[in-house]
Amino acid sequence: MPERNPFAPPERHDLGKHGRELILDARNIAVDFKVEGGVVNAVRDVSFQLHKGETIALVGESGSGKSVTARTVMRLLSRRATIKPGTKITLSGMDITSLSEREMRRLRGKKVSMIFQEPMSSLNPVYTIGRQICEILHLHNRISHREALERARQLLEEVQISQPAERLRQYPHQLSGGQRQRVMIAMALANRPDILIADEPTTALDVTVQAQILHLIKDLKDKYGMAVILITHDLTIVRQFSEYVYVMQDGVVREHNETEAIFSNPQHPYTQRLLAAEPRGSARPLSENSPIVLQGRNVNVTFKLRRGGMLRPDYFDLVAVNNLSLDLRRHETLGLVGESGSGKTTFGQALIRLIENQGGEIYFDGQPIHALNRKGMRPLRSRMQVVFQDPFASLNPRMSVRQIIEEGLIVNGIGASRRERLDRVRQALRDAGLPDNILNRFPHEFSGGQRQRIAIARAIALEPEFILLDEPTSALDLSIQAQIIRLLRKLQDEKGLSYLFISHDLKVVRALCHRVMVMQFGRIVEQGPVDEVLSNPRTDYTARLVRAAFEIAA
Amino acid sequence: MTDLDLRRLEPQPSPSGEPLVAPSATEPDDMVLARLPDRNESYYTLVWRRFRRSVSGMTGLVLVTLLIVMAVFADFFAPMHPRATDTPFAPPDMISFTAPDGSFSLIPHVYPIGETGEFDPVTFQPLTGPILDDPTPVGFFVKGYEYRLFGIIPTNRHFFGSTDGRPIHLLGTDKFGRDILSRGIYGSRISLLIAFAVVTITTTVGTLIGITSGYLGGTVDNVVQRFVDFVLAFPQLPLYLALTSLVPLTAPSNVFIAFVIAVLAALGWAQLSREVRSKTLALARIDYVRAAIAVGSSDLRIITRHILPNVLSHIIVAVTLAIPTVVLLESFLGFLGFAVKPPLISWGLMLQDTNTFSVIGSYPWILSPVVFVLITVFAFNALGDGLRDAVDPY
Repeated sequence: MPERNPFAPPERHDLGKHGRELILDARNIAVDFKVEGGVVNAVRDVSFQLHKGETIALVGESGSGKSVTARTVMRLLSRRATIKPGTKITLSGMDITSLSEREMRRLRGKKVSMIFQEPMSSLNPVYTIGRQICEILHLHNRISHREALERARQLLEEVQISQPAERLRQYPHQLSGGQRQRVMIAMALANRPDILIADEPTTALDVTVQAQILHLIKDLKDKYGMAVILITHDLTIVRQFSEYVYVMQDGVVREHNETEAIFSNPQHPYTQRLLAAEPRGSARPLSENSPIVLQGRNVNVTFKLRRGGMLRPDYFDLVAVNNLSLDLRRHETLGLVGESGSGKTTFGQALIRLIENQGGEIYFDGQPIHALNRKGMRPLRSRMQVVFQDPFASLNPRMSVRQIIEEGLIVNGIGASRRERLDRVRQALRDAGLPDNILNRFPHEFSGGQRQRIAIARAIALEPEFILLDEPTSALDLSIQAQIIRLLRKLQDEKGLSYLFISHDLKVVRALCHRVMVMQFGRIVEQGPVDEVLSNPRTDYTARLVRAAFEIAA
Repeated sequence: MTDLDLRRLEPQPSPSGEPLVAPSATEPDDMVLARLPDRNESYYTLVWRRFRRSVSGMTGLVLVTLLIVMAVFADFFAPMHPRATDTPFAPPDMISFTAPDGSFSLIPHVYPIGETGEFDPVTFQPLTGPILDDPTPVGFFVKGYEYRLFGIIPTNRHFFGSTDGRPIHLLGTDKFGRDILSRGIYGSRISLLIAFAVVTITTTVGTLIGITSGYLGGTVDNVVQRFVDFVLAFPQLPLYLALTSLVPLTAPSNVFIAFVIAVLAALGWAQLSREVRSKTLALARIDYVRAAIAVGSSDLRIITRHILPNVLSHIIVAVTLAIPTVVLLESFLGFLGFAVKPPLISWGLMLQDTNTFSVIGSYPWILSPVVFVLITVFAFNALGDGLRDAVDPY
C-alpha cells in the first residue's frame, strides 16, 4: 500500500456538503500496463467522487494517468491493461466494477459517454454525420429511422451547428475541426447521459475555437444537469470550467480540492510547481542600436495547386505568404503568431531558404540570400539554424546524439580534429542543459523535453547568430515548456542570439518576445511591441487570440 | 535549474522487476525531466529484443541458418554421391531401431526395400517390403565417398551414412537410381544461390532507383515511375519462358544459370523500388532531413546518412520475403525445364521427373523435393514476418 498523501485523502473535502447527489464514486482505481520488460503501474490507488451537475477536472501532464483513470470508469482500456482487484466504481449506487462486458456496453453512451481529443479520427469518414448519430440513438432506443433523424437534427441544433438539417447529409471531411468536435459532443449527448467524460476536448483545436467548445459543454451541462469529468493539462481551462480539481502525477492523485482553493493555496509541492510553470517574465530590453540580422522585403510564397480533371487541368496559386516584410535585430526575439494555416511556418522557413520564395528580397547580415541556391546557401547555414515543433520527427532515430550534433560541424568543416569537434558537441549539450555523457545514446531513449534540448544543442553547436524556433514548445508539457523557455532566454543572453519565434500560444510569446507579428491568411494583420499588442489589440482577430490565451471565458 | 536537471539525468539503478514508475517518495523532484534509462540501446538492440519474442520469427531464423549451413556443407551432409546410380525408382528405405534378431538396438538399422520373393495371391505381382535379414547399420560421421571440403580439403567424412559403405536411400531414388535425399541436399546449393543472387541484384537496383526517384521527385520521379509501371504490368511468365528459351541449348550450364538470374532480376526489381520510393518520399519531407539541410548537408550525405538507414529496415524485410518467391519461381521454372540444366542439381530440376501421372502414381517419393521447397519458403517467410514486426520498435 503506498503511503497516504495528506493532500489527497480518498474522499473529497466537500463530500455531500452542498446537498448534491453523489453520482460516481470511484475508489482505489489501480491499472497496470504490460510493457516490454515489465509492468507499468499506470494508475495507483486513485479515488475520486463526482456529484450530479458539477464539473470536476483531472489535471496532469502527459503520462500522469488521467486518461487511464477516466477510461477505467468506461472500461475502455487497451488489452495490455489490467484493472487490479480493489478497484471499486459505484455509479448511482450500483457497483459497476463487476459488470460483464455486455452489461457495460449498455451503460456506455447511455449513462456515461465520452468525447475524445481527436475529432478528425473519432468520426468514420465513410458515413454521413446523420447516420453516425442515428446509429447511437438506435443502439439504446427503439425508435423509427424518421424519429432518429429528427432527434439527430435537434441534437445538432443543441450543439449550435449552423444548418443542422443539411449537416446530417454531410460527411466528416466537409466539416471543420470545431464542427466535428461539436458533432462528437452531439453524439455523446444523444442518449442524455448522466456523466460526460471530456478527454482533452479542445487540445487539437485552434485557440479561438477552444473557448466556444468549452462554453458549449458548460451550457449543455447546466441545461441537462449532467456531471462532467474534464481531463486536461491546461490550467486556464481548469480554473474557468471546473468546480473541483484532482491533480494527478505519475499515476496517483497528488492533491485535490475545490478549484479556488487549489489555485489560491496549493498544498502539494507538485501542484505548486505546476502552477508556477505557467510561462512568465518578459524579454530583456533591447539596446537601441542593435544591428539588423535578418531582413525580409515583400516576401511571397505561393504553392501551385491543381484543380479540375485530367483533361482540363486548372492550376491555381495558394498564396501562403503574401508580400510580407520583416526586420530582426541582433539579440531580438520576434514572435510570429497566428492560427494553424496562417502561413507563419512557411514564412519562417522561407526566410532561411528552406522553402523557395516567389519574389521578394531576403538579406542575412546585409548579404542578399534570396537568389542563392542550396549550394550557395551552404556557407551561411552554420549562421542560421532552426528548431522544429515535433521533437520526435526532428531527430534521426538511427543516429546517436553525438552523430546528430556533430553532423553540422562535419559538413561545415568546423573543428580541426575529432577531438575538437567532440569538445564542441559536449559544450553544446551542456549549454542545452543536458549532461555530456549521453553522446552514444539514441533519440528514442529520451523524453520529449530532452529531445527538444538535443535539437537545441544541434542548433547552437554551430554557434549561429539566428535561430528559427518553429513552435518549439507546443508539443511539450507545461513544466517542460517553462524549462525550454528559460533555456532559450539564457542562451540568448549568453550568446547574443536572435530568434524568430513561431507560435500560436500567446502566453509563451509574451514571456519570450520583444516584438510580435500577428498573421492571418498569409498576411500580417498587426505588429508591434509585445506588451502593446497583447494589452491593446487593434484588430478583432488579435483580440480573439489574446482572449483565448489569457482568459478563455471572455 | 540546470543543477536540478543534471541531477535528474544521472542514470539511476535499473528498476528491473520493480514497477517502472518509481514510488513518489524516492522522487522529490518529479517535476523535471523524466528519468533516462541506464541501458544504452542502439536500434539493433531494440530490434533484436523484439524479434526474440516472436516464435515464428525465431523458428524461421533457426531454419534459415540450418538451410544455409546445409547448402554450404552439402557434401558433408549428403550420405550418397548425388550422381552415383543404383536401382532406379527404389522406394525409401526403412529405418528401425530393431535389430534383425528382434532385439532393441540403439544403433538404427536401415532395411532396404526389395522384392521379398513372395507374390500377391490374386494378381501374382511380386510383393515388396523391407528385406529383414540383411540390414545396413548406419551411423554418424561415417566414411563415404571422397570430396573436397570448401573445394580444398580432401576428406571422406559424412554427417551420416551407412557404416559398411553400402548405399542407403532414405527418400528413395529417382529414375536413374540416384539418391533423392542427397540430391535434395545438393540442390539447395543451386536453388538458394539463384535466390540470393536474384534478390541481391533486385535489392541493389530497386533501392538505388527507388531512392533516386523519391528524393529527386518531380519529372525524374514521374518518368521513372512510369517505367516501373511498365515493368510491373508485363506478363511475367511468358516473358520468362521466352527469354530463357533465347539461351542456346548448347550453352554451358553456368552460363545458363547466369542468364536465368539476369532475367529474374530484370523483372523483379520494380516492386521493391516502388516501396523504397514511397518511403523516401515521406522521409525527404521529415523534419530531421530539413534540419540536415539547415545545417548545410549535401544531397549525398542526406541520402546516405538520413534516408538510407531509415529505409534499410524495410529493405531487409523485403529481401527476406523476396527469397521464397524466387525459390518458388525457380522450382516452377525448373519443373518446366527452363531454370537449370543437368548436370547441375536444383529442386526445380528434380521435380521435372514428376511430370507424368504414372510416375507419381507408382513412385510418389520422387515428390520429396517439394518438402525442401516447402521448408525453405516457410523458413524465410517466418523470418521475414518476425523481422517486419520487429523493425519498427519506436
